Amino acid sequence: MDITQNNVDEQHDSTQHYEVLQELGDCYASVGNYSQAQQYYEKAAVLSPDEADPYVGLGVVALQKNLLDDAEIAFRVACRLNSNCAKAYAGFAMIAQQRVNYKQAFEMYLKSLELDTDNLVALLGLFQTSCQMGSFAKVIYYLEMYLNMHPGDTSVMFPLAALYMKDGKFEESKNILLNLLSLDENHKDAANLLEEVEHSLAQIKQVIRTGA
Amino acid sequence: MSKKYERVPKHKELSHVPQQNVGPIVSVLITTFNRRRYFAEALASVLCQNYRNLQIVVVNDGGEDVSDIINSYNDPRILFINRKENRGQPYSLNEALAQSHGKYICYLGDDDLYYPHHVSTLVNALENQTDCQVAYSDLYKVLCQVCPDGSRKVLSKVIEISRDFDRFFMLYYNHVLHVSLMHRRDLLEKTGLYNEETTVLRDWDMTRRLVFFSDFYHVPEITGEFYQPAGKCDRISVLGRKNEKEYTRNILRIRTTRPAKPWMKLKDMSIIFTAERLNKQAGITLGSIWQRTFYPYEVYLPMPAESLEKLDAEMPNIIPVPVNPLSSQDQRIDAALAKCDGDYISIVPNGFPMREFWVEDSLHALINSSANNEGFELEDSTDKLWGVVLKKEDLQYARRSFPNLPVRESLNAAGITIRRLNPEEIPFQFDQLLEKARTAEKNGNWSKAAEMFEYITKHHQNELWMKSLAANASFKAGSHIRAANLSHEINRQRPTVDTLLLEAKVKREQKEFNSAIKLLEKAEQILEGKELLWI
Repeated sequence: MDITQNNVDEQHDSTQHYEVLQELGDCYASVGNYSQAQQYYEKAAVLSPDEADPYVGLGVVALQKNLLDDAEIAFRVACRLNSNCAKAYAGFAMIAQQRVNYKQAFEMYLKSLELDTDNLVALLGLFQTSCQMGSFAKVIYYLEMYLNMHPGDTSVMFPLAALYMKDGKFEESKNILLNLLSLDENHKDAANLLEEVEHSLAQIKQVIRTGA
Repeated sequence: MSKKYERVPKHKELSHVPQQNVGPIVSVLITTFNRRRYFAEALASVLCQNYRNLQIVVVNDGGEDVSDIINSYNDPRILFINRKENRGQPYSLNEALAQSHGKYICYLGDDDLYYPHHVSTLVNALENQTDCQVAYSDLYKVLCQVCPDGSRKVLSKVIEISRDFDRFFMLYYNHVLHVSLMHRRDLLEKTGLYNEETTVLRDWDMTRRLVFFSDFYHVPEITGEFYQPAGKCDRISVLGRKNEKEYTRNILRIRTTRPAKPWMKLKDMSIIFTAERLNKQAGITLGSIWQRTFYPYEVYLPMPAESLEKLDAEMPNIIPVPVNPLSSQDQRIDAALAKCDGDYISIVPNGFPMREFWVEDSLHALINSSANNEGFELEDSTDKLWGVVLKKEDLQYARRSFPNLPVRESLNAAGITIRRLNPEEIPFQFDQLLEKARTAEKNGNWSKAAEMFEYITKHHQNELWMKSLAANASFKAGSHIRAANLSHEINRQRPTVDTLLLEAKVKREQKEFNSAIKLLEKAEQILEGKELLWI
């Protein structure tokens, strides 16, 4: 405690107003009120022109309105402001997916996940495009990594269980599905998949027994 | 040439403001210098007060002409002093005070704003809620970006301080914002006017003098805003504070200012400095007393007349006590004691180590001690360099009863207990804990900081302020639910942008989007200045 330490240059939080506007944009987007979301993102962009997030928000809103060109422009601005903007790459991927360019979508989702392994949108997008392309090589790795960080996230458990099953890892698949159903007992797809997995396991056991 | 003034709230526009026409007159003082644009808004915020019984004294301190702004209102409550020469803020305030006739005085910076209930809130407090003659509220500190056209883009509004009145701290440093202050005008007869030689910390100069005569009543409501531009600040007060020498010189001047007695709320301290003669060492110790003592004091120097002639005339609050060169140290103390005006006496030997709070630590314990016949040894006291602080009446009693004993022995014989202070008696415990919590914050140790802020909330008042800091630290520490609960408690009582934002963030995480939107929209309204009726 020394008043001769005269901190007249001490600066306080300069992002508060921006944060309020950005949060409002995100909340309105979450409840599907895209015109309000757009207004707040635009205000946030004016107040903090160096921030990428408002442009990501504007891109998402444009995507929701199916204005793919506008969305692409917004994501490009976001990327210019922050070359490591994982959300912007996920945005590019969604645009590519809409344009049925699965290869590009896959690459963009992958790029997004390289920048942020925590990005659920990119993760599920990667899974979707993998299904669309019939190639699952890199997906399992990211799904496992994400689930390690978010052990209770049911939205990731199901795709991972499905991929395990596809790879013949029935025990792993079964464990995840049991876990998923303990968290969400009404998950019908999980229950159906579990039935299939258990059937496959029973068949294997029978084969082994027969073989023996 | 001045820009044409365009943005005037018309009386018609202000007519929807609920009005209070009865009550004592309040004089609002605004001094302005070259801030036309902001001054117009500041003045509008005064004219929008729901308390109507105002006298508004505006002093143009030799800056750009603002008479068109004043005239546009044609309001008989405004008294305008349009001076061509720049004489500085203290001079201007004194000029405004000389013209004021309200029962109460309040102040507004020419770039700051009152909310419409500012004056009525403080008048109501002073008239109906307290015997204090001074009241203050809380203000948003607005960090803004100044655009090329002079308009201000609001980046944040934060409650930087919301502290309950602490007289001991106010003597040490200021914790009351001048814009939030209202006091009785007649107190100035006791405090005196603004010191025109003071170049920085002028506000504290006045509030420090006010604490001699009144308690301050804290109204923890947000009633206005003061502005700080982001980046380089052009405020004269801030620029002045960057000059370290000037800053220190002002602190010393303010701390050694003693308004005329009687002091209603403060007891004086007399320091009896015992030195054989005024040698180099004595000069150093005296200099240290001057620099390190913040509690009001006078130093009594019982020394031979020839020594006293060497005294530095610049040094304030020194009372020479000429004594016989052959007199003993105890006799010298008795000679000084006979002249001492203070209620508390500190005896300090030459060469005593002078750290910060050297006497205030023990003095604080003495002031708050409920025991009779008790004094306190100074913390750095040794047998060789023995220092003490005690009540004058106790020392007088001991010396009267046992004049032939040395001072220490006479105290003992008179049954005056002299002890060391206990840790819980140390002053500024709130500030020390706050500083530790702030350090934890700076080091990124958010959970430790949150824990400390919550501890301070429970044990050291200033509840809303500390709770708000605890909420922020909890959020950063990852305890989002705790942050939301704390923010919710504050928002129910006195919502702020920070706590609304925090609670909303957690609501969003919990996917309660509509609740989050409500909170955020309230925050946005504050940020957009919806309280300001003319916007």
